[in-house]
Amino acid sequence: MTLNKKQLAGLIIGIIGLAVPFFLNIEGLSYAGHVALGIFLLAASFWMLEPVPIYATSVLVILLQILLLSKEGFIFKTATEAYIPDAYTAFIGTLANPIIILFLGGFVLADAAVKYNLDKNLTRILLRPFGSQPKYIVLGLMVVTGLLSAFMSNTATTAMMMTVIIPIIVQLDKTDPLKIGLALSIPFAANIGGIATPIGTPPNAVVIGALSQQGINIPFGEWMALAVPLVIIALFFAWFLLIKMFKPSTDSITLDMSGKFNTSKNAFLLYTAFGLTVLFWVTESFHGVKSAIIALVPVVFLTLTGVVTKEDIRKLPWEVLWLVAGGISLGISMKSTGLAEWIVASIEWSAFGTITLLVVFSAVAVLMSNFLSNTVTATLLIPLAVSLATSGVAGEGFNLIIVSLVIGVSASMAMMLPISTPPNAIAMSTGTIETGDMAKAGLTVGIFGIFLVVLYAVFYWPLMLN
Amino acid sequence: MDHQIYILVIEDEHEVMDALIKDLEDFEQTFPIESANNTKEANLVVNQICDSGDEIGLILCDHVLPGENGVDFLIGLESRKEFHNTRKVLVTGQAGLEDTINAINMANLNHYIPKPWTKESFQEVVVKQLTDFIIEKKYNPLEFMAVLDSVRLAESMRSNSLTDN
Repeated sequence: MTLNKKQLAGLIIGIIGLAVPFFLNIEGLSYAGHVALGIFLLAASFWMLEPVPIYATSVLVILLQILLLSKEGFIFKTATEAYIPDAYTAFIGTLANPIIILFLGGFVLADAAVKYNLDKNLTRILLRPFGSQPKYIVLGLMVVTGLLSAFMSNTATTAMMMTVIIPIIVQLDKTDPLKIGLALSIPFAANIGGIATPIGTPPNAVVIGALSQQGINIPFGEWMALAVPLVIIALFFAWFLLIKMFKPSTDSITLDMSGKFNTSKNAFLLYTAFGLTVLFWVTESFHGVKSAIIALVPVVFLTLTGVVTKEDIRKLPWEVLWLVAGGISLGISMKSTGLAEWIVASIEWSAFGTITLLVVFSAVAVLMSNFLSNTVTATLLIPLAVSLATSGVAGEGFNLIIVSLVIGVSASMAMMLPISTPPNAIAMSTGTIETGDMAKAGLTVGIFGIFLVVLYAVFYWPLMLN
Repeated sequence: MDHQIYILVIEDEHEVMDALIKDLEDFEQTFPIESANNTKEANLVVNQICDSGDEIGLILCDHVLPGENGVDFLIGLESRKEFHNTRKVLVTGQAGLEDTINAINMANLNHYIPKPWTKESFQEVVVKQLTDFIIEKKYNPLEFMAVLDSVRLAESMRSNSLTDN
């Protein structure tokens, strides 16, 4: 395991970060808070500079919290005045947090959809009405990509859409800017589309997980009511921008997608499971059954019927679940040790207006997630925002749900660089895009995203939430 | 990729070797090329590559060579576990039916390019074979997308449960 300079720095800073608080005596921070600070510094350093895989850091965080902060750990066997230690089960329990179960259900459905080619067949049908004019085909591709990535991982959606657009790109004239427009349209639409539902992308899980720790539950349908209008506008903006920046020089393109729907018994069982699950998720507010509970139903149904096999289960992205669990776990200790409150108290927040704060949070989230994993960005920023809101330090109108949404949504608006998101990396790998193209387009979308998110946070979301 | 994937070319006629190397130009940056004029040299190269922890993705081998012939060389490689995924291609105009049958049955031959070849069809074969290699070994396809069959590589990404992070 050879580390490059960045990783080595991350390893060293992380280990120092873990150790240093033990030798300090910071005013206003309990001893438990010092320990939590050490773990936080290690986590932040390891997550940002990646000396080890980010999911490995997540389980490390869980273990360190158990060993150093839990009732069953080495340090806090009994409650002190300043800190009542959590039971270790609180930390390992994050691995089965309802949002994790919801995502598990989503993963099973998405993997089965790919297995039975549901995603590809849906794409073929949904693209038909968009004709052969290049700009409308790009629109169609973006709409379908956005729709799919709302229910499947952005990355899997991008990989599949690549198989659709690469044959088109190959046909085009070498100098046709449409090539670049097409190649960029997919990751942009995938990243934006992921915002639409709770299961669309892991940062959404971080938002929901953090809010549920505060006793706030956002039903599936309510998230969609809050997010979908934003997604639609952002998608159209991105489309408009790409067509403008990369004006097609050809008049028509032929989309040649062959194939037919899988008509085997298993496929029909999948179609039914998928449709019913989404239906019950979206209507959660009406029937009241929690979406995490609903999520277990397709898992049970598809494994009982053998539509999803042991091999399929083994191939699920369990490390993403660990990644999110680690983040939720960190949030627990940051709150119960008073660390988050202390960090928040260190800054003179009342000097800033609410809108300024929202803009800053959004901008920081977009900036960070351009360079880091979107999930890590959300994981590091949301506990701070939660503390800010619950301590009342930032003043009235700083609503917990709204600021968490601002961060979570902004974390998905980062698409300037190949390293920003896996969909960006995939698009870059085709060799049709220059880094400058992606940077310019991605920056514009990012800035518009900040503007849009803050607009929603000030006008639309307060309306919907009351 | 933490190691190199090589293309090995075995050909004794210099003109033919030059033509082969020229047609492989486009792949060189991603897949470094090693050449040998006979199977003794080839074995040295093969062992060198193996010892340094690298791999051979594709072997392009002439049949009529000084000493051991191409088919026998390829058959010999079959017993080495490290080369089970290596794609083996004969580039020749002079392998008789029996030799060809042996190459297929005993050397796991993946393709046969008869001389003379066109640059286009040659490159098509190289792309297909190396794409097969990458997919079989389940390597991260991203760095090969621009050089190999990107549609097939993207398709393979679907079944490898790619995720957001």
